[in-house]
Amino acid sequence: MTVLERQRARAKWQQQEQQSYFGGSEFGGLFLEPSQAVQGNFQGLVGGVDSVLGEVAAVLVKPDLSLESGLPEFGRFELSNMGFGSDALINGSTTGFHINSPTSMTSGCPPTVAAVAPEERGKVSVPAEKKSSVAGRESFKKRKADKVQNTKVGAEEDTKDKKSKVSAEEGESKITTEQTSTKNNSSATNNRETSADTSKENSKASEVQKPDYIHVRARRGQATDSHSLAERVRREKISERMKYLQDLVPGCNKITGKAGMLDEIINYVQSLQRQVEFLSMKLAAVNPRLDFNIEDFFSKELFPACSTGFPTTGMSSEMTNPAYLQFNPVQQLVSCCGLEMGMNTPDMAFRRTMSAPLSLPETYLDTSYITQLQPSSTWDADLQNLLNLEFHQGRSTSYASQQLTGSIEASNLKMEI
Amino acid sequence: MAPSISHLNLENSERKKRRKTGDELRDPNTETRWKSESQQRIYSTKLVEALRHVRQNSLPTSKSPSGREIRHAADRVLAVAAKGRTRWSRAILASRLSLRLANSRKHRKAKPGKVTGCSRLKRPEKKRSLPAVQKKVKVLGRLVPGCRKVSFPNLLEEATDYIAALEMQVRAMTALTELLTGAPVDRLGPSSDL
Repeated sequence: MTVLERQRARAKWQQQEQQSYFGGSEFGGLFLEPSQAVQGNFQGLVGGVDSVLGEVAAVLVKPDLSLESGLPEFGRFELSNMGFGSDALINGSTTGFHINSPTSMTSGCPPTVAAVAPEERGKVSVPAEKKSSVAGRESFKKRKADKVQNTKVGAEEDTKDKKSKVSAEEGESKITTEQTSTKNNSSATNNRETSADTSKENSKASEVQKPDYIHVRARRGQATDSHSLAERVRREKISERMKYLQDLVPGCNKITGKAGMLDEIINYVQSLQRQVEFLSMKLAAVNPRLDFNIEDFFSKELFPACSTGFPTTGMSSEMTNPAYLQFNPVQQLVSCCGLEMGMNTPDMAFRRTMSAPLSLPETYLDTSYITQLQPSSTWDADLQNLLNLEFHQGRSTSYASQQLTGSIEASNLKMEI
Repeated sequence: MAPSISHLNLENSERKKRRKTGDELRDPNTETRWKSESQQRIYSTKLVEALRHVRQNSLPTSKSPSGREIRHAADRVLAVAAKGRTRWSRAILASRLSLRLANSRKHRKAKPGKVTGCSRLKRPEKKRSLPAVQKKVKVLGRLVPGCRKVSFPNLLEEATDYIAALEMQVRAMTALTELLTGAPVDRLGPSSDL
């Protein structure tokens, strides 16, 4: 259908426009509950409208609020309709809905939308009052389903549920994708149910995927003023994050309530921090052997034959370096430092420590220190491999300990050379 | 096609308009971020480097590096690994840097918190923030670096990321210690010595 093609092209153009336009502004996430009148009409809209259009619609929906609030801005109204994939094409099909030239609407959209933005937030509650808007929303969601039946159903749905709410964006994208499956569903009731279900599912989360404005619809039988709505949003945000934390902190599944959860979280964080301190103390004690052992590990593991003999040929640069270093400590230190510096480029804090070794050469011929300065590149990888093994398998290091004892002797030999 | 496009658009707009701590959980999921192998590898690499530098730094004075220094180094590496996306990581890096700069001066600000606390006790202050939740929120804010005055939902998000990062840090340091000492280290459970 040429009309459809045109519509899609327009929607995509709108989208692009919107994105560029809304790039900086806090617009993207908005979507308004379509006005009542619009609602009734959307049902007939578009078979096969992409979710793209839905998104566009969502964004363009903003103007609707102003409409709902009674602003006689027909232009915006039409805009919103456009947004809804208003298939302006379906001008004729929609009852009582006059969308003229969609293209004109879209062009006018962004500026008006911007103006509408501040108004909307206060009017979040407004849509709640309008049943038809609910219906329209759902009908919009269902637009992929039979339009005709939707039109009939739309009116009915108005009365049925006010249950939905939620970020249209989320809801729509989910729903539109779901709707594709129900596209062929001819029964209005089925459509209604699925949309109602999806809207119910989505009603839990009030967070929009496009973050900046959150659209909430009051649920049936709940307060509808903006304050309580905003608070509900806040509460749902908090509960969502608490759920994440519950997954993270072990043993929190049974605990309900913020206070208890917070207690557990605090305990857990404190215990983790204590563990880190304990481990760092341990590492401090072990540290003098840090480079020793690493070098020995490497030598032992990779050059088992050479550990005692120290043949200069066929050995990695590491093994030759000790000899080198002993003869040219200063130069080697500098070169090693250079190597290390090269490796540490990403970390500013570490760079500062680089200056320290340079001042050491004068005072140090300590063999332990010299062995430290072996180029780390070659053995770091292996250390990391070892570390990763430890990480993932958590296996005991008995193997390592054997190597340690053997290698320590080897290193002692080395030192004496 | 359409759903993917819309999804893409959603993601793009998400990333463009990210709030400060807004979409951390939704963007790279916290769980996967700190549990991925690559992240662990990166962290352990940097940790080893840092530890060596700490050692080199402390060598001139020929004292073995204290546990505190090592801990600071480990935290710093962790913050770097967080790539500055989270508030606590930025706070750690900022505090370390500023401490280093101001180290000679031993610059310590007076702690207004204590002062007001005392004055509150003396004054017949109406009981604000008595709700247990509020108190715990404050405690949690103090535990997570740089998050004392963060709003509650953001604080929860920061705490989530922080906990995941700490877990990774503990795993890395445990593995390193085991590697070096050649003996398995007792892992402290969450409910151990309390």
